[in-house]
Amino acid sequence: MQRKTIFFSFLGLLLCLFGSCKKEEQDFFDGLGKKPVYAPLSELRDIRNEPPQPIQLSGTIFLQDTLLFLLEQGKGIHVFNIKDSLNTINLAFFKILAVTDFVVADQVLYADSWKDLVVIDISDLHHIQETDRIVNIINPLLYPPLYNGYFECVDESSGAVIQWEDAVLENAQCVIIQ
Amino acid sequence: MKKILFATCIALFLFACSKDSALEQVAGKSGSITRFAIYHDFMYVLNLNEVQTYNIKQKEHPVLVHRLPTDYGLETIAIYDNTVFLGSTTALYILDISDPAGPVIQSKSDRITDIGFSGCDPVAVKDHFAYSTIKVIENICGTISAQSALVVYDIADKSAPKVVGFYTLEIPNGLAYKDNYLFVCDEGWDQLLVFDITTPTMLTQTNYSFSITDPYDLIVDGTRMIVVTKTDFQIFDISNIAQIKKIAQISK
Repeated sequence: MQRKTIFFSFLGLLLCLFGSCKKEEQDFFDGLGKKPVYAPLSELRDIRNEPPQPIQLSGTIFLQDTLLFLLEQGKGIHVFNIKDSLNTINLAFFKILAVTDFVVADQVLYADSWKDLVVIDISDLHHIQETDRIVNIINPLLYPPLYNGYFECVDESSGAVIQWEDAVLENAQCVIIQ
Repeated sequence: MKKILFATCIALFLFACSKDSALEQVAGKSGSITRFAIYHDFMYVLNLNEVQTYNIKQKEHPVLVHRLPTDYGLETIAIYDNTVFLGSTTALYILDISDPAGPVIQSKSDRITDIGFSGCDPVAVKDHFAYSTIKVIENICGTISAQSALVVYDIADKSAPKVVGFYTLEIPNGLAYKDNYLFVCDEGWDQLLVFDITTPTMLTQTNYSFSITDPYDLIVDGTRMIVVTKTDFQIFDISNIAQIKKIAQISK
């Protein structure tokens, strides 16, 4: 086991030395790494309000007048009213599974959700509605962002990746070497 | 006569103000780390190795009208002065959007050629200068590849940007400026760094920088600065840069 790790590290080092630091497929690694957490594809269509919730893993921010929209990685978007800095209000949470980025124009929110671009009417922050969806237009990342090391390869038949968690891997075949 | 003139001035002033605030309210502001941007009736979306242009005249029903192929690794988009700036893992792209429905690559500054290494991350643009952070995360290559940095480009000629400044950082994330001060999130040092950019070719790091855990990105909102970290956001009063004050820290 230890030998294998050393071997792969050495291999990684070699790859780096020769200037081709990139994602490589290799066989079988046992040990600590990352594995994807999936949501069933059917659930991606379930875009709706959920009660306001705490921030767990943030992302993109967008300020529209006094409303602050804040991405919750893979899960949705928080909305805060920050008009009064001392008394901000956690107004709403939009459930958008597998979201990684978004933007707001007037009363419409555009976001990615796995392979789709979704369009959401947010004119009523408490009753949002999907108005359109362009399917299979986005190529989602199939590896953990900002990570180097082994991970369990994404199995697209298992659903959409909404998160990457630390895990003890068995026979992991994917690795990122940057 | 004087009165009429005065009244006209006031009216013009009010008109100008209301117009401005209306515009601002509609537009809104992104942080620096995003792959989506709106420009008039168009939306640009970065998709790994292409820039997608959507016509959003009918806001609720966008139509994909153009796909611009690029190298892999597109990460951030910023629009300044009718120009698109893309940060990718290997280059800074400048796109001409005089025809917003069909962006054209005006230049691509290869980071390996310019500064000897590549990395990711966002861009902020002010006047003729682009400020870009480049992050190289700790990895197997860590010991043999280079470090993270803030890079300043002279973009007076958008078809041929020149590197005019280079400042080593730890793990930089988002950035934004107010007047002559540039704020940079550095997750590695757990700092919000404040640079004086009065002379863009020669930045100085001020001693107004302050500690903050895991800063990710920020938005300057008048005399306020909103900084998002991994697990919360914080609001700072920046009306006096020499005395930046934390007003709020919100996680739920």
